[in-house]
Parts: sequence; C-alpha cells; structure tokens
Amino acid sequence: MEKEEIVNRLTPVFRKVFSDNSLVITDELSALDVENWDSLSHMLLISEVENEFYIKFKLKDLKKMANVGDMVAIISSKF
Amino acid sequence: MSEYLIRKAIVNDIPFLADVVIASEKGMSDRLSFATLFNKTEAEVKDLIMLMLEEETEGCELSLSSFIITEFEGRPISGSGAWIEGLNGALPSKILKSNLISYTFGEKSVRYLRTKAHIVQDVLIEREPMTLQLEYFHILNEHLGKGLDADLMHRIEENARAQYPGLGKVQCQIFKNSVFSIKILLRHGFRIAKSYKSADEEIFDYLPYNEKLVMEKEFKN
Repeated sequence: MEKEEIVNRLTPVFRKVFSDNSLVITDELSALDVENWDSLSHMLLISEVENEFYIKFKLKDLKKMANVGDMVAIISSKF
Repeated sequence: MSEYLIRKAIVNDIPFLADVVIASEKGMSDRLSFATLFNKTEAEVKDLIMLMLEEETEGCELSLSSFIITEFEGRPISGSGAWIEGLNGALPSKILKSNLISYTFGEKSVRYLRTKAHIVQDVLIEREPMTLQLEYFHILNEHLGKGLDADLMHRIEENARAQYPGLGKVQCQIFKNSVFSIKILLRHGFRIAKSYKSADEEIFDYLPYNEKLVMEKEFKN
C-alpha cells in the first residue's frame, strides 16, 4: 500500500480520535504535539487504526512507533 | 532495618508485583480502574498485569525495571515503582503504558474503555519530562510502622540520581482519599503542587476518588 493512501486513510481516523477536523498529520507528528493525545486517546487511536486497516499491531511494532511516520512505515510493512 | 533486604525486582517477583499494583491502584477504595474501565474481573486484571510486566518494557509504571522489592525472611513484603520520565529519549510513559494495555487487554476491552473515557478525562495528568515519577508504593500491613518507607524512599531517590545526576524533582500522582500515603509523602518532604478534580459523580463507580493530586519534592543539587 502506498504511503499516500495510508496517510489519506489515517487522517480521518486521527481527526475523529482527537476531535479536530483541522488536524494535519505529518511524519513528525507525535503525542508531544497534540494536546489531548493522552493514554486513553492513544489506546483508542491504536484500536481505530487497526480497525481501519484490518491489521493487528505487534507489541514490538508499538514500541517502535515514536511518531506518525513510524506508524505509516509499520502499516506499509503489513501489506 | 537490617532484617530487611531492599533489591531490584526480578522476573520471579512478578506475581507479587501484580498484587502491589492492584493494592496501590485501589488505594483506600475497592475500585480497580484496570477492572472497571476495561470490564474485567480482578483475577483477570492480575493475569494481564503479570503479562505486561513480563514484557519488560522500560520507562513506565508497568516496567519491571521500575520496581524495587523489600524482602523479609526471604519473602517479598513491599514493592515500589519509580522511573525517570523520558530518560534517554524514551517515549512518554503514557504511550508505553497505553501500548502495553492495548496489546494485552485486547480490542474488546479497548472498545469498552471508549464508552467510559469521558468519565476519567479530568484526572488524566501529564507527567513532567526528566522528573522522577513515583507511582506504586505498597508495604504489607504487618510491616508498617518499621521505618521501611524512609529506607525505600531513600533507595528510590539514590537509584534515580545514579541514572541521572541532574535530577531535580520527584513527583507522585495520588488520589486525594489516600490519606495514609499522602501523610507519608508529606513526612518525606513532598508538597501538594496541583489538584485535578472531576465534576462527574459517575467517576466514583470507576476510580478510587474524583480528585487527584500531584505531589512533588525538589532536590537540592
């Protein structure tokens, strides 16, 4: 799956989880940049992303995910 | 104090540490948030906490490496968990913990959490980077009043300063009804820095209390 498609599908997921229709996701975007990206919203985000792409992240995947760029790369690796 | 041995936690301590986490989380209540927010029984939660500790992730409250144990006559009688937030570029502990819970508890539990998340939002508190975070501190009842808390606090701070000599502060997030623990922290030089309160009465069905304090102590470097 191409990166552009992944980002296009991730964007509405992020906007829904963080209740921000203006949110733009970039490779560098992380929990440090979004005010309400807390432990609860992170769990919901992971769940929503898994449902969107019909994937299950391994724990080692999650440990490597420091930002959206890492998330995109890991999703891409599963296709 | 010589009859007590304080040491780093090891894999064999995991079942005891799961009990420490559960006792600390419940505090002065019967509410275990790992159970109430994820629709699990306490027995299920204990198994899941053990699985999370077995992952040996570093840098959060569910890290085996965060814990020290006190032994008495060869048996664990206290457990205390602390880590330096964001040390060596580690991910925020909120992310590390959430990853562990997401992976271990499973999708059904996270879906249940989604329906309850709004209740606890007001008492979710960010952790300050490069501070020592004290999260779990539990001594079995029969060993209270022996001065063990002072030795444990000293060891926790000593271990942390060995990792990061420039350490300036230790913080602890604690529910306001944990009066016994708050007294201990005040006795050890902590002060109440901030308070976060939820107006949603429903929170009492899920968490030990509706108000959480951030207590902190600054180190003189």
